[in-house]
Amino acid sequence: MECVVQGIIETQHVEALEVLLQGLSGVPKERVRVHELCLKSVPMLGAVPSEVRLLCDLAQPTPSWTIRHVGGAMRGAGAEQISILVRTIVESKASSNVLRYFYGIGYKLDHEILKVGFAFRFQRGAQFTVTVTSANKMPKLHATDEAVQVTPGIQLVEITAPAAANNYNDVVSAVTSFCEYLAPLLHLSKPGNSTGIVPTAGAAAASLMSSGGAKTL
Amino acid sequence: MAPAKWLMHWHPNPGVTLNTQILSEACGCAESLGGTKDGRWKTSIIFYRPMTRDGAGGAQQNQLADVPRELLGVALHERPGLYFSILRNQRLVLQADAAFSQVMEKLQSFKARVNLNFEGFQYQLGDFCLRIGKCVPNNTETLRGIMMEVEYYPLSSIEKSRAIMVDFFDIWQETLAKKSLPGRFIHVESNFSEYGLSDHYSFQHTAVQYATCLQQLMAAVRA
Repeated sequence: MECVVQGIIETQHVEALEVLLQGLSGVPKERVRVHELCLKSVPMLGAVPSEVRLLCDLAQPTPSWTIRHVGGAMRGAGAEQISILVRTIVESKASSNVLRYFYGIGYKLDHEILKVGFAFRFQRGAQFTVTVTSANKMPKLHATDEAVQVTPGIQLVEITAPAAANNYNDVVSAVTSFCEYLAPLLHLSKPGNSTGIVPTAGAAAASLMSSGGAKTL
Repeated sequence: MAPAKWLMHWHPNPGVTLNTQILSEACGCAESLGGTKDGRWKTSIIFYRPMTRDGAGGAQQNQLADVPRELLGVALHERPGLYFSILRNQRLVLQADAAFSQVMEKLQSFKARVNLNFEGFQYQLGDFCLRIGKCVPNNTETLRGIMMEVEYYPLSSIEKSRAIMVDFFDIWQETLAKKSLPGRFIHVESNFSEYGLSDHYSFQHTAVQYATCLQQLMAAVRA
C-alpha cells in the first residue's frame, strides 16, 4: 500500500519549492526522467479489464524498467474523512523486454507520457518520495527526445509514502503534517481532486527565495 | 555472470513406468563419482492460463486469438528474489522480481493453474555441482519426471564449456549404465539465440532450459 497526495504549482515557483524541500529533507535532489507507458488488456481478456504501467527510468545511464500495478483506493467512512489517498501498489523490476512481453500476453498501449523533473527521497516519520515533474507527450510513438509539455507553466507535485495495513494511520499523519509545510506554495489533495494553485504562492515563494534561498548559499 | 549449466531429463524405455528408484540410483551414482551431498534444492514452475470474462477457458477463449494459451512462471532455487516468465510461442523470457506473481494476481488476466516443483539433492563434485531431482505437482507425490542439473563453476561461456560438459556427461552415462536402469538421461539443447540470449550464461538461460526440460518430460509421459 501507499499513501499519496498530489497538487499543482506554477513553474515560476518550482525553484522556491525546491529550496523548501531541500531544507525540509536535508538530502540532495534526484533527477527524474521517466517514460511511463500505460497498457490495457484487450477486450475479453481477464476476469476484469485491467491496466498496467511500465516505467522506464531514463535518468540512469542504463535505462531500467519497473512494472507497476495501481490498485483500488481504500474505501469506507475513515478513508472519506482523510485528505490522503491510501491505495494498493505492486511493483516489480523487469528486464528491458517487458513491453514486448505485455504486448505478447494481450495488452495494448493506451497512452504514454514522459515525466521530467526532480525528486527528494527521505525519512520523516515515513519513507517519503516527493516528485515535482512536468508531463510531456510524444508527437510520435516512443519519441521521448521530441516530447513537448502537456501543460506548459504548470508542474505536478506528488508525495508518496509506502504503508502497510498495520501502520497506514501513522503514515497518513506523517504525510498530513508534511503537507502543512508546503501549504504556502501548494494545495495537496487526493489524486483526481485537484484544488488548483495557491493564489498567494508568489509572495511565499519570494519570501523563501530571499530567506531560505540565502541560507543554502 | 552465472556458471554454465546443462539440464538433463530422464527418458524411460518404452513401456517402463517412472519410479523413485531411478532417483536413488542416480544419487548413488553422484556419490560413487566422489560427489558430496550438501543440501536440498527446489525450483518451481507455474502454468498460467488466460482468464476470460465468461470464466477461464470458456467459449470466448476463441475470441482471444492473439493471447497465448499458456504462460510459464519460473522461480529458480538459486535466485529466490527473481521470477521469470516465459512466452514459449514468442520465444520470450522476462526477468522480474518475486513480486511479479503478485502483479499477475492483481491483473486477473492470467490465472495460475498448475504448480510443478523440481526438487532433490545437491552434490559438489570438484568444479561441478550436480542437482538431481524429481518433478512433482505441488502438494502431491505423483512423480512426473526425473531430471538433473550439471553446473560447471569455472566457465560462463556456453560454447567454451560445451566440450567439458560433453565429457562429464559421457562419464556420467557410463557410470549409470553399470546399474542397467530402464532408460537414460538426455540433454536437449535449448535454442538460446531464439530467445535473444547470448553465449554468456545467465539465470534467464536456466529458466529457458527448465521450459525445454518440462516439454520433454511431458512428451515422455504422453508417450
